[in-house]
Amino acid sequence: MVNVEEKHTRREFLKFSALGLGTIAATPALIAGDAPPSMSVYGSYTKNRVGSLAQLKKAGEIDFSYPDGNALCKAVYVNNEVKAYSIICTHKGCPTIYNKEKALFECPCHFTKYDAKKDGQMVIGHATGALPRVLLEISGDDIFAIGVDGLIFGRINNNVG
Amino acid sequence: MALTLNDRLPIPHKNAEVKNVTCEFCIVGCGYKAYKWPLGTEGTYKNNALGLDLSQQQPTYGDWCSERMFNTIQDRDGKKYNLMVIPDKECMVNIGQNSVRGGMMGVSTFNAASPTKDRLKEPQIFRGGMLMETSWEEATTIIAKVYKKIIDNDGADEISHKTFDHGGGGGGFENTWGTGKLFHTAIGTASASIHNRPAYNSEVHSSREMGVGELNSSYYDTSISDTMLVIGCNPYECQTNLFNIHMQANLDGSSIENKKKEYDKGESVSKGKIIFVDPRRTASITNAIAIADKENVLHLQIKPGQDITLMNALVSYIIEQGWEAKEFIKNHTENFDAMYKVNKISLEYASSITNISVADIKKAAEWIAKPKPSGHRPRNAIYYEKGIIWGIKNYENVASIVNLGLVTHSVGRVGTGICRAGGHQEGYTRPEYTGPSRQNLAVIDTDIIQGKYLVYSIWGTNPFGQSIATQRLRNAVNKRSQIVKDAINGYHGNNLDELCDIIYNACKSGGLFVVDIDIYPTQSSERAHIVLPAATTMEMNLTSMSGERRMRLSEKVMDAPGSAKPDCLIAADIANALKAEYLKSGNKTMAKRFEGFEWKSEEDAFMDGFAGQGSKMASQGGPTGTLANYKLLRDAGNNGVQLPIVKVDNGKLIGTRLNYADGKFGTKSGRATFLPTPQPAMPKQVAKQVKRYKYWVNTGRINEVWQSNYHTGRLEFTAKRWPMAPLEIHPNDAKELGVTSGDIVQLSNDYGSTRAIAIVTDAVRKGEVFGAFGFQNSIINDLCTDYVDPDTKIPFYKGTAANIVKVGRSEGLIKDMTFAERA
Repeated sequence: MVNVEEKHTRREFLKFSALGLGTIAATPALIAGDAPPSMSVYGSYTKNRVGSLAQLKKAGEIDFSYPDGNALCKAVYVNNEVKAYSIICTHKGCPTIYNKEKALFECPCHFTKYDAKKDGQMVIGHATGALPRVLLEISGDDIFAIGVDGLIFGRINNNVG
Repeated sequence: MALTLNDRLPIPHKNAEVKNVTCEFCIVGCGYKAYKWPLGTEGTYKNNALGLDLSQQQPTYGDWCSERMFNTIQDRDGKKYNLMVIPDKECMVNIGQNSVRGGMMGVSTFNAASPTKDRLKEPQIFRGGMLMETSWEEATTIIAKVYKKIIDNDGADEISHKTFDHGGGGGGFENTWGTGKLFHTAIGTASASIHNRPAYNSEVHSSREMGVGELNSSYYDTSISDTMLVIGCNPYECQTNLFNIHMQANLDGSSIENKKKEYDKGESVSKGKIIFVDPRRTASITNAIAIADKENVLHLQIKPGQDITLMNALVSYIIEQGWEAKEFIKNHTENFDAMYKVNKISLEYASSITNISVADIKKAAEWIAKPKPSGHRPRNAIYYEKGIIWGIKNYENVASIVNLGLVTHSVGRVGTGICRAGGHQEGYTRPEYTGPSRQNLAVIDTDIIQGKYLVYSIWGTNPFGQSIATQRLRNAVNKRSQIVKDAINGYHGNNLDELCDIIYNACKSGGLFVVDIDIYPTQSSERAHIVLPAATTMEMNLTSMSGERRMRLSEKVMDAPGSAKPDCLIAADIANALKAEYLKSGNKTMAKRFEGFEWKSEEDAFMDGFAGQGSKMASQGGPTGTLANYKLLRDAGNNGVQLPIVKVDNGKLIGTRLNYADGKFGTKSGRATFLPTPQPAMPKQVAKQVKRYKYWVNTGRINEVWQSNYHTGRLEFTAKRWPMAPLEIHPNDAKELGVTSGDIVQLSNDYGSTRAIAIVTDAVRKGEVFGAFGFQNSIINDLCTDYVDPDTKIPFYKGTAANIVKVGRSEGLIKDMTFAERA
């Protein structure tokens, strides 16, 4: 029979970083924001600066964490729009990899794919929802995260962690 | 529109009820845990039913409840509850993983304020020009009175039925037994057909007649095979956790330690390889390459309908090389020479027919049969599914694969198997079907079109989207059902004897009395005169078995909506109503036929059928099924027991991982029988379509849509993903047609016409399109011919042709839909 313990261990030592192992738990550099957090219009969320719009347009993507340092997110510039998502696959919590050319978030564990242009809709795979969408407010050149629509993998409440 | 954030779920209370649930969808049958606790209460971050510190981010592969795994439900006593249905880490089938389907079991449950709100809740009767609610008593009395009159005057065979025979949601051993006992022995009709096909037959007659039951291996054995051969089967989308867990472990090498443990001493051990035989590039293929690299994945992109030639070529080349399993063939099989005499072909000829290069056929044969460096024979896990079953000729299609499996001794050994991959789970226990032999079976849906039968009972299925020539079937039943509706409309009284005389007379004048039993309104209920609401998974205790014969008790978690009942108890109601009618008329002999339905619960039906009959009936439990009961199965939990049960040891059910390990097969002689399998010509109905219409039309399942799309077509996540059926079209064809992804196209041929959303992709070849089945608003089966294999009466759903025109574009329809490449 498949040894459950063995399988599980194997999965935890996948070659890419996984949640909870500390390696990818956001370093201070990942926590964006030189502006002080203030209350979001969506209640308990803080308002965090993600980065500069000009910089995003140039780079095509900006990594940040939201609503806290353990929640990896990415802002992308697609179809002349700014979109941002939790990058954690909502199937089993593997961090997805952004395929800039196709504007897809692709999970290396079981190949679930999400379309950055379509509110994180699942293209194919095993998630039961789109990637959680980070709600944004753009003010001048500043992009602020102000909430998350969709439950982040591994959380009963987006504001834990 | 107000934005509602989906960013918080209630915490399962420490005292939540916890039940074992087996996924109600695909054949893999993943284990889930259901947590139910009173609405308005919750546990704390650190003190909760999950036993986790929920104030923390859970790790990758950790337990988690997505929004779609959650629902709020209400039992019949009015009490409301929270419900979480999350994948079970302790279940060795899925070790805590879910598919998109199983992961939505929570949101699929009935909730009066959600997309599942239109579940059928009460019996309905067609009166006054519409379906309206009635009592169970009136509904079953009317059915009984009409059926009795037909049995007495015209014979039971005038009562035709199409009834599920599967496990999982809406099926299971309890319900196949209840419905089988009602139709096969009590009513005694031979005019039967199965949920997804027009006759009452096996999809794998030839495999069984060769002595090889179609589910003879285990997922663990797949994970430790040398070579996986996957024919007409897309496991990433259709048997998801078989691919994600067991095949992936083989391809990425993480099962190597198990191979070392299980293989013979000194036998070569390496990462697994996989061969796909499929006319299109599927997500299984691209993802297998992502896991194992190109050198370990072989895609034989076969010309549709030519699988038999490919199998015969592999067998021929293997024998020419002297790689066949000589000892096994000599000691455990028969009819080898007769098979080889007919099947022997050259690789060059096969290549010209199948469109696969000689080099690739040789490479596949080497992976399957060339001795390993240690001299040992490769261990092959062979899987086939609907690309073969719904193929050009069902009987030979399946047999040609079993031939290959037998030549290479790919059955009964560790790390082997010759299995169908399966669609739904299984759960068959029925009195023996006493109809004609497979060559002489009635093709019920074709008969219905031709005006035969007085009754069409449709149980847990929608033939109007999922049979052959479905547009013709809908039109025929519309007309015949309307004759009965018109007659009912003309009667304003409520004397049931008078009403039933009117219904009977209308049936005798070309009408058709339609009875529909289901969980949702469908195209069947639109045409029905009586509709009865059924319960499904989590609303009853239900036993089924998976693709590795793993039997579980999926426990009742909640009440069914309204007064809906388990199908077995509905069957009992109908039988008891018939018994009462016969007793009333003084016919004790006939009344006796309807005895034995005094069940109070689904457990009574289980104890009468699966656990009560043993080898007396056609049961997947076999003779040792009598050892099972609910308590033992409940104790066995989500890992259950692999049938057949060997024994009960200290209150534990002991099962069978691998069938035929003793080399004794299911034939009279005990030897597996080879069959000659010549490549058949294209059936004439199909050939005519090919001659007249430009595009070959292949059909199949997609990941996010389950069966007739009954849940998935309603739930927001999947309905938004696929508002209509997609049709994959090659870029060159699309250019010629002036079509881009997202356009609505119309397909038409001699049998019907339908519409779909174009998806332009080179996953299909030029001249070949692929349409998804199951959609109620775009029915690809409308294009299917009425051809069935004359030897098994199984259709060729995957073979027809059509012309395609661009209709236009509805931006609103597709605005939320992604068109990114899936494979």
